[in-house]
Amino acid sequence: MPTAVTPVIVSDNPQIYEDAHVHAIYEEIAPHFSSTRYKPWPVIAQFLSSLPTGWIGLDSGTGNGKYLPLPLERPGSVWTIGLDRSRNLLGIARNAGGGEASREVVWGDVLGLPWRRGAFDYAISIATIHHLSTHARRKVAVQRIIESISPVHGRALIYVWAIEQDELSKRSIPSEQSDELNGQSKGQDVFVPWVLSQMSSKPKPSAKSSRTRSNGSGSTYQEEEAVSPSPEDNTTGTSEKPAVFNRYYHMFAQANELGLVIGSPHELRVESPDSKHIRNMTGIDIVQDGWERSNYYVEIRCWRK
Amino acid sequence: MVRLITHNLLACHAKGCTSNNFPLQFKDIQIELREAEFNPDFLRGFIPRIEWGALTDAARQLGDTSLPSEPPDMLDDDFLQKLHHVLLEIHVEEGAMVCPNCGHVYPISNGIPNMLLAEHEIG
Repeated sequence: MPTAVTPVIVSDNPQIYEDAHVHAIYEEIAPHFSSTRYKPWPVIAQFLSSLPTGWIGLDSGTGNGKYLPLPLERPGSVWTIGLDRSRNLLGIARNAGGGEASREVVWGDVLGLPWRRGAFDYAISIATIHHLSTHARRKVAVQRIIESISPVHGRALIYVWAIEQDELSKRSIPSEQSDELNGQSKGQDVFVPWVLSQMSSKPKPSAKSSRTRSNGSGSTYQEEEAVSPSPEDNTTGTSEKPAVFNRYYHMFAQANELGLVIGSPHELRVESPDSKHIRNMTGIDIVQDGWERSNYYVEIRCWRK
Repeated sequence: MVRLITHNLLACHAKGCTSNNFPLQFKDIQIELREAEFNPDFLRGFIPRIEWGALTDAARQLGDTSLPSEPPDMLDDDFLQKLHHVLLEIHVEEGAMVCPNCGHVYPISNGIPNMLLAEHEIG
C-alpha cells in the first residue's frame, strides 16, 4: 500500500511549527531513520568525487552523516563537516562510515551562519531545505549556504523533494497537488508519515517497502521508506501498534521554484554588467539542475573575474 | 567533535555580532587525543585555507606549541605530521567556546559543539 501523503496548511509561528513537525520527530526516530539511510545518491557521490584534494566543505542538514565519509575512492582527500538540528542524528553522524574514523559534526540550524564567511570550498544540502515551512525561510537557508562558501570558487549542490514523484515511489500524491493552472505552481505543504515500530527500533520488512533505482550507470541502489498501512492510524501506540510520526515537507513544484529560493542576480552579489570595475566582479552560475528520482537538484558555482 | 580543523571555521553568529567574532576562545575544556589517518596530500591542499594565527593560538590553548608562527615554505613530512596532529588528533570533548566580541558561550558536550541560538539571539 502506498504511503499516504496528506496536504497540510502551515500554521503558527514557523519556528514552533518546525520544532513540532520536523525537529522533535527526527529526535524521536533518529536510529530507525538512520538505519534506512545508508546509500549515497549517485549525483551527490559524483559531486563529492569531483572535488580537488584539500577542499573543506559543509553538509547543511547532514542527518546521519552518510555523505561525510565520501568520496569513498579517495577517503580523507576532502573534509566535510556535518551540521544538523537533531542532536540524536549527530550522535550517529559522528561515526558515519564506521571504522575508526570519526567525523566532525556541529549542532546548529541551517538558518544560522556559525562560520567565517566564505570559509568553505563546497557545500551540500540534501533533503533538508524542504523541511522549512515558508518560502522566506527556504530562501534564507540557501543564502546561508552561499554565504558559507568561497565567493571566488565555492561550489554547492542542493537537493529537495519534488512534487513530481517517480513511478517507483511508494508515496501517493493527491491529484489536486499537481494543479499548475496558473503556470506558477508554488509547491505543496504536506505531512509524510514515518512509521516507527514500538517493538523494535530496527526496520522490519513487513513495515517497509523498498525500491530499486537505476543510477544510469548500470548499477542499482536502494532507498527504503517506511510505509504507513493507514494514515489515520496516528496514535502513539501503547500496544503493538506502530507509532506514526507526521513529518512536515514542502514539496517543490518545479526546478524553477528551487531557482526562486536561490534568488535573483542582485541577491547573488552579481554586480551590474555595465560596471567599469570589471575586475573583482563576482557571480554565481548554475552548473546543472534537474529532476532526479523524485527530487529537484541544483549545482552552483561561484566565480570572480 | 570539536577538533581544531572545525574550530578554525567556527565564528560567533549572535545577533549584531559581526566583527571580532573569530576565533572563539576555549573555556574549561577537556581534551582527548586520538590517532587519525595521516593524509599529507589533503594537508598540502588545505594549508592555504587555514587562518594560521587562529590555529596556532588555539593549539597553544590546548597545550600544543609545535607549530611555527608562519607556515613554512618547505612542507616536509615532519611539519605535516605536526599539523596533522594539531588539526585532526586533538578532540575537545567538553567545555565551551566563548565569543571574543560579545561573550556568547557555545557549549561543547560529548564532543559536539552547540551553535544553536535562542530565537531572540538570531541575527
